[in-house]
Amino acid sequence: MRGCSGPYQQLLSQLQRQANLTEDTSSLLEPYIQHQDLNTPILRGSCTEHPGAFPSKDALRGLSKQSFLWTVNTTLGRVLKGLVTLQKQLLKPQDLEELETAKRNIQGIRNNIHCMSWLLNGSSETVEPMPTGPGPWLPLTSALGVFQAKLEGCRFLRGYHRFMGSVGWVFREWGESPSRSRRHSPRRALHKGVLKTRIFRRGKRPVPRGHLPW
Amino acid sequence: MRILETCSHTFLLLRTPEGSEITSLDGELVFSRKIFCRGAQNLGLGLGITSGPWRTLGPRPHQSPVLSGRRGAGSLGRGVFGFPLSFSSLSHFLFPPVPSRPLSPGPGDAPPAGSRPPSPGTRRRRIPAGPRSAKSEAQDGKLQKSSPLCPPPRLSRNSRPSALAPQLIHSPGAGVSQRVRPASTLASARAPPAPLRTRPGSRSPLPAGIPGPMALFAIFQKTFLLALLSWRTYQSEVLAEYLSLTPESLKVFTNSACQCLQLQWNVHGLPYHQELKMVFQMEISRIRPSNVIWVGNYSTTVKRDQVLHWSWESELPLECATHFVRIQSMVDDAKFPKLSIWSNWSSWEEVHVQDYPGPSTLLVFPKNKLVEEGSSITICYISGINHNNITCYLHNELIHGEQLDPKASAFKLNNVSFFKRSGTNFFCKVNQTDIQNGTTFFVSKVLEEPKNFSCETQDFETLKCTWYPGVDTGLDWNIQHSQSYTLFESFSGKKQSCKHKDSCDWKITQDSQEMYNFTLTAANNLRKRSVNIIFNLSHRVHPMAPHSVHFENRGATTVLMSWKVHVLGNYLTLQCQVELEGNGKVIQHRVDMKVNGEHLFGELVPDTQYVARVRCANAKHFWKWSEWTVENFTTPEAAPSEAPDVWRIVKSEKGSHIVSLFWKPLSKIHANGKILFYNVVVENLDKPSTSELYPIPASTRDANLTLDLCSYQIHITANNSVGTSPASVIVISGDSGKKTEEIEEEKINSTEDGFFMSWKPLSGDVVGYVVDWCEHRQDLFCNLQWKKLGPNTTSTLISSDTFRPGVRYNFRIHGISMKNIAYLLENKTGYFQELAPLDSPQVNITNLTSRSFAMTWKDYATESQPGFIQGYRVYLKARNRQCHPGFEKEVLSDDLIRCKFDIDDPRKKTFIMENLQPESSYEFFVTSYTGVGEGPNGTFTEVTTSDEPYHKLIRIILPMILFVSIIIVACYWKSEWVKEKCYPDIPDPYKSSILSLIKSKENPHLTIMNVKDCIPDAIEVINKPEGTKTQLLESRKPVRESPLIEPVYLYLQDEKKSSHPGSFICFENLTYNQSASDSGSCGHVPVPPEDSPRQLGLLTSPDNLLKTLEKNYMNSLGEIPAEETSLNYVSQLASPMTGDKDSLPTNPPVPAHCSEYKMQMAVPPMPCLPSP
Repeated sequence: MRGCSGPYQQLLSQLQRQANLTEDTSSLLEPYIQHQDLNTPILRGSCTEHPGAFPSKDALRGLSKQSFLWTVNTTLGRVLKGLVTLQKQLLKPQDLEELETAKRNIQGIRNNIHCMSWLLNGSSETVEPMPTGPGPWLPLTSALGVFQAKLEGCRFLRGYHRFMGSVGWVFREWGESPSRSRRHSPRRALHKGVLKTRIFRRGKRPVPRGHLPW
Repeated sequence: MRILETCSHTFLLLRTPEGSEITSLDGELVFSRKIFCRGAQNLGLGLGITSGPWRTLGPRPHQSPVLSGRRGAGSLGRGVFGFPLSFSSLSHFLFPPVPSRPLSPGPGDAPPAGSRPPSPGTRRRRIPAGPRSAKSEAQDGKLQKSSPLCPPPRLSRNSRPSALAPQLIHSPGAGVSQRVRPASTLASARAPPAPLRTRPGSRSPLPAGIPGPMALFAIFQKTFLLALLSWRTYQSEVLAEYLSLTPESLKVFTNSACQCLQLQWNVHGLPYHQELKMVFQMEISRIRPSNVIWVGNYSTTVKRDQVLHWSWESELPLECATHFVRIQSMVDDAKFPKLSIWSNWSSWEEVHVQDYPGPSTLLVFPKNKLVEEGSSITICYISGINHNNITCYLHNELIHGEQLDPKASAFKLNNVSFFKRSGTNFFCKVNQTDIQNGTTFFVSKVLEEPKNFSCETQDFETLKCTWYPGVDTGLDWNIQHSQSYTLFESFSGKKQSCKHKDSCDWKITQDSQEMYNFTLTAANNLRKRSVNIIFNLSHRVHPMAPHSVHFENRGATTVLMSWKVHVLGNYLTLQCQVELEGNGKVIQHRVDMKVNGEHLFGELVPDTQYVARVRCANAKHFWKWSEWTVENFTTPEAAPSEAPDVWRIVKSEKGSHIVSLFWKPLSKIHANGKILFYNVVVENLDKPSTSELYPIPASTRDANLTLDLCSYQIHITANNSVGTSPASVIVISGDSGKKTEEIEEEKINSTEDGFFMSWKPLSGDVVGYVVDWCEHRQDLFCNLQWKKLGPNTTSTLISSDTFRPGVRYNFRIHGISMKNIAYLLENKTGYFQELAPLDSPQVNITNLTSRSFAMTWKDYATESQPGFIQGYRVYLKARNRQCHPGFEKEVLSDDLIRCKFDIDDPRKKTFIMENLQPESSYEFFVTSYTGVGEGPNGTFTEVTTSDEPYHKLIRIILPMILFVSIIIVACYWKSEWVKEKCYPDIPDPYKSSILSLIKSKENPHLTIMNVKDCIPDAIEVINKPEGTKTQLLESRKPVRESPLIEPVYLYLQDEKKSSHPGSFICFENLTYNQSASDSGSCGHVPVPPEDSPRQLGLLTSPDNLLKTLEKNYMNSLGEIPAEETSLNYVSQLASPMTGDKDSLPTNPPVPAHCSEYKMQMAVPPMPCLPSP
């Protein structure tokens, strides 16, 4: 794969840094709150993540590496669409440049995830079947009214930041225990992730493929 | 109303032959067909008739029902009780002025009488229809305008959706009038619900019977009226068939986006193919029907079976309150003036948009409301929660609203301002719960009218219209896009949307349209702003910049410039402006042209770069200049037009003239090109055939020639690539330079402009004068400057930018004879600006005496100072605050006093200080001064005058005498001591006591010397080795003869000093040991015996020592014959001793060199030894 010549550790380190960067709410959520005039204690209190909108940390930790990468990639793809939706609500997109920055960061993360997946599986491998979930949902404005749409956007971004924090956590776990491998079904992990339970199915450990560093 | 409906069955009885109306004779008073039936049946009741909106009057204690009219003025007549009634007072009573009131009235506002239920003691009234005022429109609801925000209307609960025909929203325009009743206020909405019955069948209470005396009059009146009515009814019998024009099928739809009530109805009973102008009056109530908040009229032309539409916008969101609507109509057509009577009201239509929420729900309205800056907005919420537990915030600030009913509250925000493009948030929260809701409303900036709207064409193909758009009124969340701009041309009827916010391109068609009438319309969701211009196309021509600019040289000073413009039609003449900038000037010309233009520029400067510009405009109807087209060109070179400006310096030296030629570079205007070189031709005038050519490079500005004393003529020319300049001629005569030293130098002053100088004219014919100048002391190699003047000039002002302050300039004035020979006339010198001296003289002191000294500064160079030295100033520090005679006292700032003396002659460089005190110090300082000031302050030099001569002698001689005297006295007193120290007597051995002791053995009278009398630290030892002693005793040979006799040493440990290995005291018999004495040493190699330490140990005790000495000595003496016994002297060698007395030296001591001292002592004889 072109552009994926970096070593695994370097790629993993970069993904960790990218996750840490995007986890920071000051990179997007706070500017959004300021721009939409939601910076009041009551409205901040209402700006909570929709349960189930993004995979939980436990769900992510329970996934195999490939499934994890696929889940992150898919979720970020939906986030990208959500950011585009938010951007379209602005008369002048330059009023909230952080949206454009976030889009570029997400695209970078997805590129690295592709490379990581290629490193883990090899170029000839196909990604294993991915679980499908509700995914991040950003309702249309006309259905709710602008006020509720603002809050929904806020909740969406808060979930996004939390999700990236969970992603960073998992990447750090990869770095700390490189031989660790998830065993249970990705689909099941996602479904059970909301319940914050981890299920390991022994005997179904994914066979390491490609030129893994361990 | 009840009355009307109650008597409907008696209507025909009251109808006049013409119709249902009874009018007065003058036509002003129109009697309605609505007659109090009971009054008609019972003549004891008053008859109230009105033509317009009318009111039923309940019985009042002071007034009977009377006839009333809309426009009635003056006295109607007397009431049934005979009280005079005027229309003015009556109308005021019946139709009190309806004040324009805000939507939110004060809490003290009482509900109007009209909102009360019709009951005895109350009265109902109908608000008369009148012209609708804009002010009243703004009070509460307003007529709906078409808006993109308004979605299709929503059918109210009581309406049938199927009745929705294609929406045709009628703008009321001038045909709509409204009046807001007091009941329209929010306060009235708080009034307790009062049932209002609008159904027919209601009855109005009638007054009681009429008193008897009035019966006859009443009967007569009634009879007359009935007769009149019958006649009128008969006349209008046919039209009576169309009088039933009450609006029917009223449906009300809602549009929450625009908070609009949209009404739909029709009118039956109109004749076919007949259009009728009608007025419809609407009443809108809120919360309950009796709470009328808005009344307005709507005029339009109605056809038979036409479905009519009308819209009303509520300020309060429709979701927060139930609304009621009803309508009535009236023919308002001039063709049927008799039909102008109001129809019956339609039934109330109830509009209920939002169901009341449950106990845990909070809803805030309106959603996404868009208003314009400066307007008002009303926000409300409905909730089943106790309102005391709900708090609402605008941004982050708590605000309080007004409760409409137990489930709704409203917040009116007046004069809202733009906050953010993302809108303004309003939200409410139920305390102690997570229940909250809110809304975002958007405040748009007011759309501005486009400014500076203009259109122009550059090619007759496209019109470009431009304007300044003003602020952007766009908002986020797609609530409102940036304002759009539309261009409409009325003559062609074409319309075009503009892609840009500040410009629009309009395609010109080929139909040769000349006049254009453009309307530019800016529009957003709230309003439109338009501007209009009308113009002739040919008057709005803005040509494109000319192109194809060329230059054709015609000599060095003439250029032909040509250019082209884009074709603008054969009929259009352009006027072009041509500018030529170069050589510091700008030349401007105007040229008329159509397609090709040209202009000839003359009198240009050769070899000069010019900037040419050209622009064009419509010559006949000027609109705008085109952009400039700029091109550069350079004129060709020409031969230099003037001779170089040359001057010279001539110095005579060793039978020759050294001529330094200087010339100034030709100015650009005279050089006409780049100067490549100069030619210097030297021609010997005494030998005309002799001349020499010296080419000089162009960069050189001077040349030196060494000529003999002949006369020479020098030609200097400048040359460029084209030709040679005229020549400058200078003649050097044979006596040039001789008079230079003979002319005295004169000082001149300067002004701000320079040096002004004048001179005596040169006798004879002159061709001119030359003033040259240099900085001082830079004669031959100075940067010579000169100025040539005419023959009649005898004065000039020399000014130069190079003149500097503090620099001395020497000027020479020459006269030029007809033979081009220069004669020096005068020498002048001066400073452009004098400064104070840079330094002070270095003073030498000479002739210092006890009373005076001289100060000299011969080496001080006055001419190198930055000003003419006018003298010197001698400062002397005052002694005892007094100054010498001739000195001026000067008190300094620190209360010091110094004395000053000025020497006014700058040539005097010596000053003698006299009348000084001998042997005194004087501090002085000498400085120079110019016209500006004196030199810098320096340090004072101290001079001490010498003493008087006899004082010096006394100081020397007296101490000497005293010293000598003291020496003499001391020597006298200490003669013995001196003798002992300086020249002691050498003891005579024959007078020694030793000798006496020896002799005492032979002579008992000899004195015995006690050893205690000896010096304790001097030990006298007479020692001999055993062998030697034995030998001596046995052989009795003289010591000197024995080879074994060697110096013997006694080592003695000093008690007080440490036992340094090398410290010892040695005793050596030298005095009379000839062998040792001859050796010349005091024991250089006195190897001590092996048992020396042991012997030392024995000798450390003084007693032992003395004993040993005594024993040995006595033994030796006893064994030496008297004659052979000679006096032994012991030489003592002392060396510093250190160390512990108890430690014995382990190494044999080495005697130090005998350089300390020698002490010779006489060895005492035996009797001197103490007895054991």
